Amino acid sequence: MLTKKGKYGLKALVHLARLPVGQLAFVNDIATGNNIPKKFLDAILGELRNAGFVQSRKGKEGGYRLARPADEIKVGHVVRVLDGPLAPIPCASRTQYQRCEDCNEATCQVRHLMLEVRQAIAEVLDQRSLAEMRDIAGDEDLSVPLKIQA
Amino acid sequence: MAPKTIGARMTGRANSIIPSSIIIVGGGASGVVLAAHLLKSPNPDLRVSLVEKRPHFGQGMAYSTLLSAHVLNVSALGMSAYADDPGNFSRWLLERGLATPEQAPVYAPRSVYARYLKELLDELEAREQQTGRLRLIREESLSISPTASGVEVALANGTSVVAHLAVLATGHDEEPGAGQGHAIRMGSEADSALDPEARVLVLGTGLSMVDAFLSLEQRGHRGAIVAVSRRGLLPSPHRKGNPIKLDVADIPLGTQLSYFVGWFRDLIRENQKAGIDWRDVVDGLRPFNQKIWQNWPSSAKRRFVEHTKAWWDIHRHRMAPQVYARVTEAVQAGRIRLVAGRIVDIAAGYTVEVQSRHTQRLERFDVARIYDCTGIARDISTTSNSMVRSLVDRGLARPDPLRLGLDVTADCEVIAGDGTVSAKILAVGPLTRGTFFEIDAIPDIRVQCARLSKRLLG
Repeated sequence: MLTKKGKYGLKALVHLARLPVGQLAFVNDIATGNNIPKKFLDAILGELRNAGFVQSRKGKEGGYRLARPADEIKVGHVVRVLDGPLAPIPCASRTQYQRCEDCNEATCQVRHLMLEVRQAIAEVLDQRSLAEMRDIAGDEDLSVPLKIQA
Repeated sequence: MAPKTIGARMTGRANSIIPSSIIIVGGGASGVVLAAHLLKSPNPDLRVSLVEKRPHFGQGMAYSTLLSAHVLNVSALGMSAYADDPGNFSRWLLERGLATPEQAPVYAPRSVYARYLKELLDELEAREQQTGRLRLIREESLSISPTASGVEVALANGTSVVAHLAVLATGHDEEPGAGQGHAIRMGSEADSALDPEARVLVLGTGLSMVDAFLSLEQRGHRGAIVAVSRRGLLPSPHRKGNPIKLDVADIPLGTQLSYFVGWFRDLIRENQKAGIDWRDVVDGLRPFNQKIWQNWPSSAKRRFVEHTKAWWDIHRHRMAPQVYARVTEAVQAGRIRLVAGRIVDIAAGYTVEVQSRHTQRLERFDVARIYDCTGIARDISTTSNSMVRSLVDRGLARPDPLRLGLDVTADCEVIAGDGTVSAKILAVGPLTRGTFFEIDAIPDIRVQCARLSKRLLG
């Protein structure tokens, strides 16, 4: 399940992936541009920095930028860092396993199928880079400011 | 991009032309395992030529030891030649009365494993005699050259073999690395008779040092062994266990090294709290090791090799429990002295000066011989394999960014000096370390060979 944290993190990274290589972005600009609460974004960017996806610089001229080229960072890499193991429901994880109170995990068919689903999720998200995601989103995103203007 | 197009055509991706003649350069363990997988194909036009310079196939460096104390570092279940039949070697052992069912896990002598590979190849040879699909060539390969329709491998006897493609399976380097000075390899010609009371120095404290210790014991050597490495760490022993189950969806990929190491330490800690041995966590990660490596940024790979690999290796590449018992006993008795430090100077005779890693103090050792047991990984640009060097010199291949091996694609295709991907020259086994990371042991090599065979022959 992609949480809000995961979604905001990906949006912030797409924002950074649109900038010319090496250029820093202010947290405020990322937050307002993508409709993300600033405090939450600070925490998210901190985690992305620890994992080595973004770099930051402090001070007046400070901000964030991608630590690596956007085509090297896979969407699946980012989601695991922000949301933990890829899993459609909490019981379908091997390391962050959370038992459902109302069922027996050994016989639960739903869980078995969801374990299969998570493989499929990994396959899609580990194939797609930030650069690819940025380029899919391109067309739709352009329509947003146009609507506002109209 | 022209070479890539040829690759697509030959591998049948674009249409159905399949490369039917393949030369495997190197008939050690990887070469035999690859031949066995290729010959599973029913294709009657297939021609596999296996070229080996040693008199025996299937031995290479790893399995040519005759010493019975030199047992496999992997239990029998990991050593089947076939990726899809893990019980093959265990059954072979049982059928010949070389192991009993209660005995598991079995750590068989390496010479027994060489016999297994030899018999497997004999069987293939007998089976393919009518078809002519397998040709064994006992000759040294000198060079590989691309031709208009494939490749030509020149042999030391002045003849050459041609095929659609060649796969390099030349394995480990046979000579000590440059800069090891006076060090020699155990069992090489330079390893002449030695005063049994003489003190010797071993460069390295890993599995190769353990092999050297066992060989010295066998020869009746009684002198002390000083083993020196940067950290002075001894590999851990195996223990019977059950690897934990992980999915790729659980594992953080593509992060910085410190993030990954933090995750892995936490995972071990949590499992240990639940009474699970750390080995089961390390082994549970194994199916994903190549994927983890391939997704790391180059900075993480470099850091891993420099700082983390020594720790990883002693936990990941373990020894049979009975061997560990002998080694630790020798350490306790003072027969082996493990030194964490760096060689500062080697004077004639030899007087070796070692600087301790922890105290920075210098210590001198007078030793009669220095053995190179620094292990199998070394800078490929210093390789003693003239064929690999000539490929690099002619721009047909290049070292990977970390110089662990040749630069190859995830499909085992060799990448030329100018970055073009070759469809005609491929590589398997330790030469592909830069891309496949852990590709020194049969459990990984057999999977690589199975995938390559499937890709080439369908």
